Amino acid sequence: MSIAFKPEETFRGDYSYRNSDAAVLRFPFPFPEDRYMYSVNIEPHVRSGPSDVFLRPFDVDEHYIAECRDKAITLERDPGRCQVLPHMMMAQWDTLELLMENLSADYPEQFSLIKEGDDFGSRWTWINRPLGIEQSFIFGNAETLPCEPFEYITRQAQGDFAICDQRDDNLFMDAGMVTSQADWSLEFDVGMSFMEWHGPVPLAHQTGVFERALKYLLMLRLGQPVRRLNWTMSINPRLDTSPESYPEWGPDRASVTPDNAGQKVHLRVELQTLWRLPRSNAILFPIRCYLASLEDLARVPKWGARLHRVLSSLPPQLVEYKGLTRYLPAALEWLAQHDDGRELPVGTEPGITTLGPR
Amino acid sequence: MLHSDIKSRPTYTQLEPDLSGSQHLLIVEGDTVLPGRLDSLAGTFAPVEENLHTWLVGTQAGGLGLGKVWRLPGVADVVDAFACATRGYGIGDRLYVQGTEPFLWSVAKAAAIIGFSAEQIHLHHAGSLRRRVWCTHCHTVTEDVTTSIASCAGCHRHLLVRDHFSRRLGAFMGVMVDAEAPGEVPAVEESFA
Amino acid sequence: MIGETLTLKVAAACAISPSLRHLRLVAADGSKLPPAAAGAHLQLVLNGAARTHRNAYSLISRPGARDAYEIIVRRVPASRGGSAFIHEQLKVGDVLEAGWPGNLFAPVRTARRHLMIAGGIGITPFLSYLADFAFGGADYALHLCCREDEQHVFDPWLAGKSSVSVHWDADGHRLDIPALLAAQPVGSHLYVCGPAAMNDEVLELAAAAGWPASHVHCEHFGSALSGGEAFRAFLAKSGVEVSVGEDESLLEAIERIGVKASCLCRGGACGVCVTPLLDGEADHRDHYLSAAEREAGRLILPCVSRARSGRLVLDL
Repeated sequence: MSIAFKPEETFRGDYSYRNSDAAVLRFPFPFPEDRYMYSVNIEPHVRSGPSDVFLRPFDVDEHYIAECRDKAITLERDPGRCQVLPHMMMAQWDTLELLMENLSADYPEQFSLIKEGDDFGSRWTWINRPLGIEQSFIFGNAETLPCEPFEYITRQAQGDFAICDQRDDNLFMDAGMVTSQADWSLEFDVGMSFMEWHGPVPLAHQTGVFERALKYLLMLRLGQPVRRLNWTMSINPRLDTSPESYPEWGPDRASVTPDNAGQKVHLRVELQTLWRLPRSNAILFPIRCYLASLEDLARVPKWGARLHRVLSSLPPQLVEYKGLTRYLPAALEWLAQHDDGRELPVGTEPGITTLGPR
Repeated sequence: MLHSDIKSRPTYTQLEPDLSGSQHLLIVEGDTVLPGRLDSLAGTFAPVEENLHTWLVGTQAGGLGLGKVWRLPGVADVVDAFACATRGYGIGDRLYVQGTEPFLWSVAKAAAIIGFSAEQIHLHHAGSLRRRVWCTHCHTVTEDVTTSIASCAGCHRHLLVRDHFSRRLGAFMGVMVDAEAPGEVPAVEESFA
Repeated sequence: MIGETLTLKVAAACAISPSLRHLRLVAADGSKLPPAAAGAHLQLVLNGAARTHRNAYSLISRPGARDAYEIIVRRVPASRGGSAFIHEQLKVGDVLEAGWPGNLFAPVRTARRHLMIAGGIGITPFLSYLADFAFGGADYALHLCCREDEQHVFDPWLAGKSSVSVHWDADGHRLDIPALLAAQPVGSHLYVCGPAAMNDEVLELAAAAGWPASHVHCEHFGSALSGGEAFRAFLAKSGVEVSVGEDESLLEAIERIGVKASCLCRGGACGVCVTPLLDGEADHRDHYLSAAEREAGRLILPCVSRARSGRLVLDL
């Protein structure tokens, strides 16, 4: 499968990031119903679903090269976005193996993995054609890579990655590569337990959602990954909306008007998957971020109208927590023109196969 | 402000000896000792006095009935004493700490580095509510924060002090309060005196 | 790396003692197996003469191995179940269904030191631990308590490993457990796997020596858990009644009549099979329910627990 990469697009400065029509149609739209409902919504991460992004366990799309470059810029400015506690070395190798095996099997035109053996101590050669990388190394020997294995492979993957160590009937966020997050700080949160790092999330604690999710995840099985979608909104197609760089992107929130909301306001959807890792027994938590402007989304009539209705029904605590307070009214005003009040079918599918002209 | 709905916010207990422990180490921040408090601690720890060591930090106050007593000038000396521990600590040992939050977490972190488990460490908050604040933007730690909004000692931004707490850093999170509208700083309150 | 079941072929089988059989299992189609962790187990589907058994065995192969899985199976005295099938009927070339490896007994990665105490065949999870610790350079000690005539049975897996001691019931050879537990430094983790009486003794001694509960880990095994007096169970949702035989578990009986029940460890540890109990009194044998939950009598783990009264009604 060939992918038409857009290596020159940017996620900062002039924000030249754009979605092709195909990218809009495969966007993992997260709202099946008109009203907002908070739920854990975990399901098996099988190779199918209402969007093409579910067809492969680790989705690679037209933004791959540009995203990897943006990640490198963020890491150059703040190396603390990659954190690995010392006891996580086995989990680092698990992550490298999982990503290399899946990417090379699902995207053979772009990635190859040549192994002389499967055990630690075997020579492996990794070829990443889009980024022009060929690396020979000894599996299990970190000194044969240019950096530690987790950083090495996650620099070459879209999205963020956290690894949770499992002990004492709890999960601890003991490693992460986090450069495109929705306003949480890995450097602050690293080492925290499941309840601690979810501490700031409003409403959900009282309903026992996190206790149930934790019990479920502790039993996550090797070979049976699960997924869920999460969402928030960003001004401009910016990957790095971290608290670290909040002074840079915070002012953008005050720049939204009902006239420019269509271009400026982006729905930010995270495809979160969870994988039991084989050697370390840790859990890998990839968070793959998809961005689409309100204008992009409104080209799918069902999505434009649905988004208007969902955003109108958000509880105020959630509006505050997601940082929407300042610009939500302008976004709703812009979206209102795309909602004629007709009944919308349940489900997240776009309901069309081609988009009209922009 | 010692209690919060945020689950990362630690909760603290009264100190009492865990009788299942083998050796007991009590560390007290001198500033936080109210008159009569050491005598009261001695009474509480009497059942384990034979296996009790007490480190009194920054005080000349008495230590009668607190087992073997050491005096240390400051919290940095406590951290050093753990880091250079020549006598190994055992898996059955217990650590009890009394002090302000920055003190408690400096000690707890030093103990964790040499292997103490959270279950072996009992923390009792006493004295001021002042906070250690970690700046999310420049990563500088600002000590002795008593206000809801504080100036960062590193980048001088106005930081909103949140209840989100990191045990690893022993600090609360500080986030720029006027990033979205520069200069719009809400009224500063004395929240953690 | 996505999947649920494996089809395995017996590549080698040999007796390493009168009661222990070592099996080497490979993928029947010659493909690679999923890698597994230290402490992982494999659940085998054993089609015995009378009925199907699902038994879990610790993997003793090196962690991450993808060419073969290895297990050691002890013949349970008077067993008519899975272990008898493996000892009497299974031969090289036979094909078995299995689940992907699971893990309820992984070593703790933050440990400063790993102290392992094994009773007899309870050494099996620790054989994979040793390979893991050798890779990571972790500090560890393994104490094996067994019969004097068994002391060399596991030598092939212990060769070249330091910090391994073998103990048996004779003067000068017994393990002084209280002294051992008292001498461990902060940051130690204790793992025990052996017969129930030994596990209980070690757990009690560790608590008495002040070990924090989160530093003490136990893997329960022993098929004696699942058998008992026959009883009947009514599955309310399915509307069927099933007889549970003396040598089968409630879960096995439910599966035998084709009712789907989720499960994982089949040993009362993981809680995946927990089921609402609508009527009847349970004989709880699991390690999962809290004392309060047992007292309330509204839940049961059908993988190990049975009826105290004659009949149970389950919401299944």
